[in-house]
Amino acid sequence: MTSRTNTKPENFDSFWQTVLEELASLPPAAEVEEIPLRSTEFATTYGVRLTSIGPYRIFGYLSIPKSADGGFPARYFLPRYGSVADLVPQGSSNSQRRDYVTFSICARGQRRSDSPYAASFPGQLTDGIDDPATYIYRGIVADCCRGLEYLAQHPAVDGTRIAAIGTDLALITASLSSLATHLVCTPVTFHQALERAAATSAYPLEELNDYLRLNPDRRDDVDRTLSHYDLRWFAPGVNATSLLMAEAAGGPLDGAALAPMAEDIKGDALVRESENSGYRDGVFSELWLTEQLGMPEPSLPPHWRQ
Amino acid sequence: MASPAVSDYVSGLKRPDDIDAFWDDVLAQTAAIPLDAAITHDPLRSTSQAEVYQVHYTSLDRVRIAGWYARPANPPSADLLPGLLIVPGYSMEPLIPKNWAARGYAAFSVAPRGKLRSNGQFNPGYPGLLTHGIVDRNTYTYRGFYMDACRGVDFLLSRDEVDASRLGVTGHSQGGGLAVVVAALRPEIKAATSGAPFLCGFMDALELTDAYPYQEIGDYLRLHPESRQQVTDTVAYFDGINLAPRITCPMIFNIGLQDSTCPPETGYALFRAISSEDKTLYDYDGYGHDASNHTHGRVIDEFLAKHLEP
Repeated sequence: MTSRTNTKPENFDSFWQTVLEELASLPPAAEVEEIPLRSTEFATTYGVRLTSIGPYRIFGYLSIPKSADGGFPARYFLPRYGSVADLVPQGSSNSQRRDYVTFSICARGQRRSDSPYAASFPGQLTDGIDDPATYIYRGIVADCCRGLEYLAQHPAVDGTRIAAIGTDLALITASLSSLATHLVCTPVTFHQALERAAATSAYPLEELNDYLRLNPDRRDDVDRTLSHYDLRWFAPGVNATSLLMAEAAGGPLDGAALAPMAEDIKGDALVRESENSGYRDGVFSELWLTEQLGMPEPSLPPHWRQ
Repeated sequence: MASPAVSDYVSGLKRPDDIDAFWDDVLAQTAAIPLDAAITHDPLRSTSQAEVYQVHYTSLDRVRIAGWYARPANPPSADLLPGLLIVPGYSMEPLIPKNWAARGYAAFSVAPRGKLRSNGQFNPGYPGLLTHGIVDRNTYTYRGFYMDACRGVDFLLSRDEVDASRLGVTGHSQGGGLAVVVAALRPEIKAATSGAPFLCGFMDALELTDAYPYQEIGDYLRLHPESRQQVTDTVAYFDGINLAPRITCPMIFNIGLQDSTCPPETGYALFRAISSEDKTLYDYDGYGHDASNHTHGRVIDEFLAKHLEP
């Protein structure tokens, strides 16, 4: 099956430039409020509300170390697919908040950013998918860019050490904003999505199959929309030093599959194939980030310190 | 291979004398409420192999609970189907169990209270759910949450196409903990699988890991240090290790020895507490919270097929 995602849309750059201009026209209007329940002896936690395109108010968890006045490296956690955005990723060490500013954005539709739009899961992946301009991810991408802008201007943050961390949205955000100096991305959905959906029944890609099973006449429209969101076309915009976490060898997003994307990234880019172990992959990612950001020690949870 | 410090870990948990009476009472309260199941065919999610339905039923406190039900679209015979209850992780959304249906199961995936589609009446949020009402066993979120999962058994039993003698439960992470709970509280369960079980060794985990979601309890106690004893007393009634002695059905477990979310120490303590004669623990060195799911999935498939005969 041929797909438009194998060809960069002619209006790709102008499409996203329009989104960024729309975002820039809206003041972020930040509201910041401490959340004592999530603060610790080493970090203060805040809830941050910002305006994104729509206009739409979004929420994020901000954590600031208590140990000094500023100049901290930052970890910007981009949303995974689902209703919940965590303060720091589940299973990672909470002690990372001792040495890093962390910011976790809840994109529109996710909990805490779900008024007035509460997304369905499954369901969000095909919301408005008939047209790139109506696709829900147009706004979600803008939400992620807004969050990065907010983080980068925070006085506690060292602007030369900001890592965008997550799945597809991390790479897309790092492409559209030069404020991310480092990138740790695990591509999962927005790369050759239609082709890969045809070979799986696993969600979230199965949402595409569900949608097209009921609406077969919309395949070209869906294909056209997804071509505007394919990571391959965002990669050339990434200047950050990058780590791409690939699937294990033989998987549809393995090292070989991501190699062209890595070559297109302007910053130094490393592709690392998964060992199908959250522990081994997690340790590798943490050590890479520690070295890249010039930190003395990795933030490893107790069971990873072996 | 786990060190003795891990595999022989002794939980500091105490088993309340009245824990069985507590849960028998909660089960009785739940049973007194009509299930009032509503089932709606979902053409968007159905395939040539699986018919998918949206389900709602009433649980404890009269909270309406949602779920996904999937059954084979073209069963090879008119024979009854084995029923499989799928219980969800903490922050994930319940999966639509089409793949289980394609393998011959009548599969029900429940969204306990607070999860999307079951949060109209009760929505403490994430993070937050783990500590909601935690100072009193009669108000703790998981009192109803556990019943919502257990009522999935009632839903399966309400289906004419389900064989009441072939019911199973499976889950990972919080789902692994809920599988323990359902196997303990519902004797109709004939086989159960639990991966990287959460909700087992609550207070132990606070000392063993600094990761969320258990750190939600750490956050709570930091702000409310005066409530530590109440919290300890409450979660003792909900801890899978304390419910494990009620389990007698065949059951398998998989844990990762480098699991920073649900520490392996608690997995070993849970396993030792299970009463079943037919029980097996698969402990995977070099794996974290995934507990080697990429290879262990086949073990689960074969175990359930052996006991439930799809």
